[in-house]
Amino acid sequence: MALTLTCPVCGKRNGYEFRYGGEEKGPRPDEADLTPQAWCEYVHMNKCVAGIQKEWWCHKDGCGVWFTTHRNTTCNLEVDTPEAQS
Amino acid sequence: MKRLENLPTLRIHPEKTLRFEYRKKKLKGLSGDTLASALYANGIRIFSRSLKYHRPRGLYSLDGESSNTCMQVNGIPNVCTETTLLADGMQLEPQNISGSPEWDMKGFMDNLDWAMPAGFYYRSMHKPARIWPIALKQVRKAAGLGKISPDFQMPGRYDEIYPTADVCVIGGGPAGMSAALAAAEQGLRVILLEIRPWLGGFFDYRTADNGNGTSLAQSARQMAQQVEQNASVRVFTHTTVVGVYNNNLVTAFQKGRDGDSFEERYLEIRATSVVVASGCIERPLLFDNNERPGVMQIGCAQRLAHTYGLLPGKQAVFSIGHDLGLEAAVDLSDLGLAVACVADIREDGQDPVLLAALKERDIPFLRGWVATRAQGSKTLNKVTLATKTGTLTKEFACDLLVASAGMTPLTGPLSLAQAKLAYEPYTGFFIPKQLPDKVQVAGRMLGLNSPASIEASGQLAGVIAAADCGKSVEGRLQEARAQLNQLPGPDQGCKLVTAPVQGRKTFICFDEDTTIKNVKQALEMGFDATELIKRFTAAGTGPGQAGIPGHNLPLFVAQYHGDTQATAMPTTMRAPLVGTFIATYAGSNHDMCKRTPVHESQKNAGGIIRRIGVWERARYFSEDLSCREEIENVRQNVGLLDASTLGKFRLWGPDALKALQRVYVSDMSKIADGKVRYSAMCNDDGCIIDDGVVVKKAENDYYFTTSTARAGATVEWLRYHTRYDGWRFHMVNLTDAFGVINMAGPNARKVLGKVTDADVSDAAFPYAGYREFMIQDTIPVRSMRLGFVGELSFELHVPSSYMQTLWDILLDAGKAFGIRHFGLEAQNVLRMEKAHLIIGSESEQRTTLHDVGLGFLWDRNKSDAKTVGAVALKQTENQEDRLKLVGFKMEDPSRTPKDGSLIVDSRIRGHVCIARHSFTLKEPVGLALVDAPLAAEGTRLQIYEDECNGQHLHATVVPTPFYDPEGKQLKM
Repeated sequence: MALTLTCPVCGKRNGYEFRYGGEEKGPRPDEADLTPQAWCEYVHMNKCVAGIQKEWWCHKDGCGVWFTTHRNTTCNLEVDTPEAQS
Repeated sequence: MKRLENLPTLRIHPEKTLRFEYRKKKLKGLSGDTLASALYANGIRIFSRSLKYHRPRGLYSLDGESSNTCMQVNGIPNVCTETTLLADGMQLEPQNISGSPEWDMKGFMDNLDWAMPAGFYYRSMHKPARIWPIALKQVRKAAGLGKISPDFQMPGRYDEIYPTADVCVIGGGPAGMSAALAAAEQGLRVILLEIRPWLGGFFDYRTADNGNGTSLAQSARQMAQQVEQNASVRVFTHTTVVGVYNNNLVTAFQKGRDGDSFEERYLEIRATSVVVASGCIERPLLFDNNERPGVMQIGCAQRLAHTYGLLPGKQAVFSIGHDLGLEAAVDLSDLGLAVACVADIREDGQDPVLLAALKERDIPFLRGWVATRAQGSKTLNKVTLATKTGTLTKEFACDLLVASAGMTPLTGPLSLAQAKLAYEPYTGFFIPKQLPDKVQVAGRMLGLNSPASIEASGQLAGVIAAADCGKSVEGRLQEARAQLNQLPGPDQGCKLVTAPVQGRKTFICFDEDTTIKNVKQALEMGFDATELIKRFTAAGTGPGQAGIPGHNLPLFVAQYHGDTQATAMPTTMRAPLVGTFIATYAGSNHDMCKRTPVHESQKNAGGIIRRIGVWERARYFSEDLSCREEIENVRQNVGLLDASTLGKFRLWGPDALKALQRVYVSDMSKIADGKVRYSAMCNDDGCIIDDGVVVKKAENDYYFTTSTARAGATVEWLRYHTRYDGWRFHMVNLTDAFGVINMAGPNARKVLGKVTDADVSDAAFPYAGYREFMIQDTIPVRSMRLGFVGELSFELHVPSSYMQTLWDILLDAGKAFGIRHFGLEAQNVLRMEKAHLIIGSESEQRTTLHDVGLGFLWDRNKSDAKTVGAVALKQTENQEDRLKLVGFKMEDPSRTPKDGSLIVDSRIRGHVCIARHSFTLKEPVGLALVDAPLAAEGTRLQIYEDECNGQHLHATVVPTPFYDPEGKQLKM
């Protein structure tokens, strides 16, 4: 796998060591007045950006931390400065 | 064949003879020989027959550009003999022959080319449609070169490594070595990959002067020594690059040499910067019979002599388009080859020194002439030369024709790195218009020909690579640039595509027997793009990939269209660039598994071990796979089960309870001291993923278990679902640190009472209780009273190091009470009789907590906890048409359905999760997931078993549990 990711604890590591945790969607919504549609949106719907997206990764074969990073989905590369590129 | 001796360039060791067999004939070669050179030394000239026409094929190049010399070696088909080193005792067989390579019974096919125009099998063999099945068989029979037996076992060992480097240099020639040294000089770690077994590239076999009085070969060896002695450069020779990916990931495979622990080894190299210095191969010259044995490329002829000590022929003609050809003619003539004539395609631009050298040796030289036809029925005996227009011709008797149209860069790695290639009119090369990020190019690929320029370009690339790695090298960069600029630039390349021929026997691709005529046919049928023509004619799709046709095909297509060559586009290269054994990719298959602390002792006690998930576990304790005795002993006496594979965790910290509330469906704030709490985890869809028990050891300090399968994912799961909250808690996975023994059966208390002073009476330690005490005053245990198998049982959690001792103590103490082991299968039946679940057996991906009847675990009043799955549980609670878990009994008690059998009526309505003959109940029972309307008690179920031929089994839905519905046994 060509992907490398930068773990906030362990630094830049081989992509094999990580587990993908989905797009960044913000914290779990409050359950009061939550419609099934809104819940489904949160849990299952993704933006599937062709470009740079913020997403969660777990350093499963390392320190075990969950962290967010930016990745360009068109070339499968981690992006250092998302603002400059998007 | 007598070898040339005393050449300083030789790579063979004449003192060391190796024996091998070719077509069962015993032959000898030398250490250092490739299979191809050893065969050539033994007078073998025809190595194989071609794919379609069964034309004789011989040695043409030495780097595996075509399948001409592929053979079956030690049973492995399609081994490239040009790049495989000879080893003692090898057995070689030629491929695609009926008879012998010299007398092939299918040789007549060569005269049937008129019947096989481009794409003939696409177009002809399906009209009428009924002939296709017949034709298919014949095509299948004829297709392919090597043969492999279906039960062939790949011998040998294969390895894999994943090295990291600052700079990865592809190509160990003069440019690559210079680049590696220049980068290492900047303090960087360099990996240098070379396809041949030694460094040196195209300097290695040349005696020409490098400008300073030493030969190129000599200077290459000096540089190779420097590289090998440089501690910062890791050299991999005999290593073929097969892939280059973004982020500068380079994949390659290395062939093992004597003493290595592998036959081949896969490399996956992560580099900050990549330098591609893969050099050039020769562009094949297209003329009639251009692949007749006896025709070979310049480098092939020269390397046969200088590397392997084999004079490639007796009487030679050269038809070349590059100064390297002139150099080879002079050089080989000095070694004793009679050169009848040298024809140079170029009208001018030759090195005057080389022309003078030809004259000095009285070698006739023809400007603007080219070979048009190789003659000789099997091997070469005569060559026709002609002017480029074909107006004048001459014939020469010879047994060697050195033919080459010019050079072509090996751009495969660049192409894979997504560099866009374009035709460069001066050199005639396809070179990158723009380089990908942190990829540099050096050496001959740029069209450079002067040795000094090649080395300087390597140095420059090495310095730029250092800059890519973040080194500040401004001064050194300017210096390297200035140095390159004052040296000779690229040489003009020869542009000729084909000699003046009709092209019926002019092969643009050797592997697939594609002729110029075939390409013309494809063009005339309207295939205009090179990529399409490649597919329609199969040119470049053989084992040599685009080694032979890669450059000529796009040029020919452009020429046909009347375009300038500038519009020519090379076909796309894809990984692997070179055919690679699947075994190499598969690697050594490290199949790792875990064993519990009492693995050996269970095995010695007759345990039959099975791999279950990541563990090896004892499944049965006798040859009776129904486990009757084990089961009955648990129901009547007491049994001992090793449950060490359970997931075990400590969770503590100020926010530990919040984390538990998030992932468990029950209200975990209500766990009483000294009690276990059974609960379950769901995913966000409300589907059950895990169950286990939680114990509160102290304030904010919990100990909990998960199912075996979830042990690995639980920490990640908790952290994922609390990732936004910033809660303070810690988790430790104690799965391997603690062993677990489940002692179950009516006599369990008696056994435990014998080994501990603690009060284990039902009053002091009731069902669902949790206690910590010592066994024999020594072993600290955490004990839980659970009832998974439906009997009085004590689950004992002990540090793994005590596990074996405790196991032995219990077995010893239990002797009087009939204690014996039971395995996983017995447990499976015992718990089924109690309708206790195993997640993954009675549930599947879409099974909710409610579906399996565990809805009572869910506390709907803790919405503040935002429990994972709670929202979905609310939504699916009363959903219709869900699958429900039910118990069933069989109508015919002599038949137990197989696990996984379908529940059907006119369609599939569910499936059997587990069904076993219950010795306790004396009839078969089981659990099934069925559509909700079928879940009512008394419903008749039809079971469709594999291979039942429509004869359904019948069952009736009954209440669960089957055994001890009041739960008296486990609360004893």
